[in-house]
Formats: sequence, structure tokens, C-alpha cells
Amino acid sequence: MLELRSITRRFRIGPTERTVLHGIDLDLAGGELVSLMGGSGSGKTTFMNIVGLLDRPSSGSYRIRGENVLAAEADAQSLMRNKMIGFVFQQFFLMPRLNAWRNVALPLMYRGTPEGEARRRAEAMLERVGLGQHLNHVPNMLSGGQKQRVAIARALVGEPAVLLADEPTGALDPIVSREIMGLFEEMNRELGVLVLIITHDPGVAARCRRRLMLTQGHLADQTALTHA
Amino acid sequence: MIRQTFMEAAGNLLAAWQRSVLALIGIVVGAGAVIAMLHAGTMARQETVRQFRQMGTDTLILRADSPQGLGNFRLGDIESVPLMVPTVGEIAPFMIGGGPVTFEGQTRNGGFIGATGSFADVARLPMASGRFLSVHDRFELHAVLGSELAEQLSTPFSPMRIGAQIRVSRYIFTVIGIIEPVLMNPMLPMDVNGTLFLSLPNARRVMAAPSLSMAVARLRGDADPEIATQQLQQHLGPGLRDATLNVLSARQLISGMNSQVRLVALLLGAVGSIALVLGGVGVMNIMLMSVTERRREIGIRLAIGARRRDVRRLFLSEALILSLLGAALGVALGYAGGVGFAWMSGWPVHFSPMAAPLGAGVSLAVGVFFGFYPAVMAARLDPIEALRSE
Repeated sequence: MLELRSITRRFRIGPTERTVLHGIDLDLAGGELVSLMGGSGSGKTTFMNIVGLLDRPSSGSYRIRGENVLAAEADAQSLMRNKMIGFVFQQFFLMPRLNAWRNVALPLMYRGTPEGEARRRAEAMLERVGLGQHLNHVPNMLSGGQKQRVAIARALVGEPAVLLADEPTGALDPIVSREIMGLFEEMNRELGVLVLIITHDPGVAARCRRRLMLTQGHLADQTALTHA
Repeated sequence: MIRQTFMEAAGNLLAAWQRSVLALIGIVVGAGAVIAMLHAGTMARQETVRQFRQMGTDTLILRADSPQGLGNFRLGDIESVPLMVPTVGEIAPFMIGGGPVTFEGQTRNGGFIGATGSFADVARLPMASGRFLSVHDRFELHAVLGSELAEQLSTPFSPMRIGAQIRVSRYIFTVIGIIEPVLMNPMLPMDVNGTLFLSLPNARRVMAAPSLSMAVARLRGDADPEIATQQLQQHLGPGLRDATLNVLSARQLISGMNSQVRLVALLLGAVGSIALVLGGVGVMNIMLMSVTERRREIGIRLAIGARRRDVRRLFLSEALILSLLGAALGVALGYAGGVGFAWMSGWPVHFSPMAAPLGAGVSLAVGVFFGFYPAVMAARLDPIEALRSE
């Protein structure tokens, strides 16, 4: 599903050049539930930006569903981001003035889906994440956990190849965190979507079948390690 | 999608309504100013045309100027003009002055015109009551009043009427006629409505410095005022001694006034344009602020798959809605301004047909032009940076 080969990212800061990611190779299959851990400055965010098509690597290749996504130009890349990637953020990042179903329908609207169909799909997805009662509520009327559910519905409504979650439980209390993790697991199981969760929380990571660790720009697979 | 974009844009404007109102004010005032100016220009032009239509474009004003001030025409020379000068049909000499007029113990200041009986015909003065001076009134103490002066001298108990006795200087005159209210004639040196008419000999008695220095004439048919001027110079010049003859034609005055009106309209238009540009800068300022404030929202939109042109479209829609609204309100304000101008100037309301489309079009163009840069700025944001901003 996702195929990254020797991904390197260098940043130029004044005269010096700093390498943040060192030749990362990674294969992720559809339906996997993967966690990515790493300390501050380990390159987590840069890695996620590259996987999420918000940034381009300095070198290396990246394919999603076999398609070379680095070859596309800006508009095509927007479309690819729209179709292949679903983002979930720590701060939810919902549109404050749009109600729940309009928030969820937004990616479909940018894809050109007619409003009626977009609404139907958005409402179905909100039912699915357990917010069938809150279709017309604006984010301010929802709790943190509910907001994150709306965000997850928004990320999944377009049937992406990968759901990228950046500290999705970082702003939630432990009980709600567990519920949200449960939702990720459920979506992963039922929709077969690849879920990549970036987290600081070992408890969250422990619930993922595959665990990755990023240390100073080097990626290590720790799945076997912890299982042993 | 376009409907959704417009709805979202409208929602964003409503959410920041105070700011939107501020941006609107600039556009509204700008568009309103341009439209009101165009209306005022049209009304001024219409008024000029009306004045000349009433007075006729075939009028000439003759004035004798000497180095000491006013010169003197010889009455005989003037009266022989229609016979000797083929291009001039009628002519009426007159002298001007002014002073207090007393009636029933109340005194008003009026202009004096000493004239012959032909003056009313040449200057086209319609009588409200009574008759104008005639050759028989030359040595009678008879006077004719302009409408405004007659009204000013009237009291509720003794309205001015034919046969009333008025005092001018040391003489008592009998009113034999009152002239109807007439439009201010730009050719005549004074407003007929506030004037007292006397025969020439009587005028010499009451005026401080009487000199027969002016005449009003009418061209015969379609005669060329230039040729008439030359012929008048030949005929009247020798009798003027050291004075010189100045001839002013209505057509000269019209073209002079037209260029003046055009200049004023241009000036007002420039003021309106400056207001519009300032309004546009206001729109740009507020859009830029909005872009800066909504960086994260833009980042989210880009992350969930909005193309740069989608973001640009959203912000352009906001600018478009603002300028549409501004243009609509500006048109209303402009028309109100036009009515206000008509009311203040006392001229009939006359709207310029070009004003609304021109004013609205220009303000729309200005709004979109100044909205374009912030929209492009928004579309160019780096999604990573934008997401990270607070």
C-alpha cells in the first residue's frame, strides 16, 4: 500500500545543511495498525509531512497503491492528498463555523462531489463514529472526544489509503483516549484502512500491532522487539 | 461547490462582521461619491442648458469699457443698430446701478436697471401684472419691479401692486408693472428678480454714477456671433471715443460654462476615485488581516485536499461579496446624495443614466482588484507552516 524507499530530508538553515531523515525504507500494507514513536527532534513531524504529501523528500521514492506520488505537480498532489490521505490532528482542527456534517463533507466537496451525495456520505460516516445525534452541531457544542470523532469521520469519509493521526489522543483525558483508540481499531478492522498513529504515549503504541521508532532520523521496527 | 464557497465566504464575513462593516464603509463611500458626483455634474449641465434655453442662445451683451471704468454709448448709435447692422435684429441699451427702495416705511436694497421700452422684449421678460416701461414713460416717475424685490417690499397688510408708491432717492415712483419670476440669466450683470427698472432719464436721476455702458441684443436668425461682433465694432466703435466695445455672446458663455462644468465634474470624479481607491485599500487591509488570522484554517483546508485555487476562490469570494454589497449600498448612497444635492441647489432632480452602472462597476472592479493580492497570498501559504501557526 505505502512504499517508501531511502527517503532522505535535508533542511538548509543558512550556510549549513541538516539532515533530518536518513534514508528511511518502509513498507506498510493496507489494514495495518501502526504506531510511530520518537522523541522531540527525532524527525517524526517531518516524516509525517512527507507521508501525508505536505512535504517532499530531498531524495528517495514514495509510492501509494503503486503510484509514484512524488511525480505529481501541485494540483494533482492536492487531489492525491484528498483521495489517499486522511489527517487527524491533536487539536482536531475542525472548521469552527461549519456544523459536523459540513466539516465531514468538506474533503468530498473539494473533490467535486455533489452536495447531496457528500451530505449522505458524511452523515453515514458520522453515524459510524457514533455521532448520529450531532449532525448539525458546530464544533463548539461538542466535547473533545466528540470533536475528535468528527475529525476521524472527516479523515475517513473519502476512503483514503492511509489515516495519518498526529498525537490524536494528546488533548484528551485517559478514558476518552481509550475510546478514541478503540474507534481507530474498529475503523481499521472494519474498513481495512491503514492507520498510522504518531504518539508519545506508550499505552497508545502498545495497542498497535506494529510499532515503529524514529531516533534522530533513523527508523527502526520494534514490533518483534517488544513481542519477544 | 461554488454555492458552498459563497456560503462559507458569507459566513466568514458575518462572523467578523465588525471588520466587514469597516471594509464596506470605504467601498460604500467611494461608490456613493462617484455616483453622487456624476448626478451633480448632470444636474449642473441640465441647469445650464435650461438657463440658456430660456434666455436663448442668440443673445449678445455689449459693454463699453473705458480706461476710467465704464464707457458711454450714444443712444442714437444703439438705436440705429437694427437698421445698420444686418446680423442684429433687436437691441436694448441699459445702465446699471443700485440702492435702497422704500415702500410703506420699509426699505430694501435692489439693483437698478435703467432701460428703454425694448428691454423686456430683448431680454424676454414676461410680465406678471401691469406693463413694462415704454417710450411714453421716459419722463414719468414710473417703475417696474422684479418679482423678488416686489415680494420683499410687500407686507401682509399692503402687498406690492400696480399703482403702489415707492420712494427711490428723493423721488416717489409709481409701480406700473411687476415681472414674473425668471431664471437667473448668466448673461445679464444682475438678477432680474431683485431689480428695479426705470426709464433712462429717471435712472440718471437716481443713480450715483450713471453711464449708458451696456446693451443687450439679439441676433437675426442664425447669424454668426463672430460676424455680428465685427459689424458692431465697425458701427459703434467710432462713437465710443476712448472706450472700447466688448461683445459677449451666449454661445461663448455656454462653451465657457461647459468647460467649467466639465472641470468641476472631473474634479469631483477624481475625489470619488480617490475615495474608491482608499476603499479598495481598506478591503485589502481587512482581507490581509483575515488571511493572517486564518492561516491555520487555510493549512487544514490544504491538508484535506483543497487545491490552491480553491483557497484563492474562497478569499476572492469574500472580496467579491464585500464589493457587491458595497456597490449596492454605494448606489443607494449615491442616489441619496444626488437628491440631497438637488435639494440644496434648488435644481430639479436629474439622474445621470451612466452613474449607477459606472459607479457599481468601478467599485466592484476595485474590490476584486484589491482582494486579489490577499487571496493569492492565502493560496500560496505553505500548509506545514500554516498548520503550525496559532
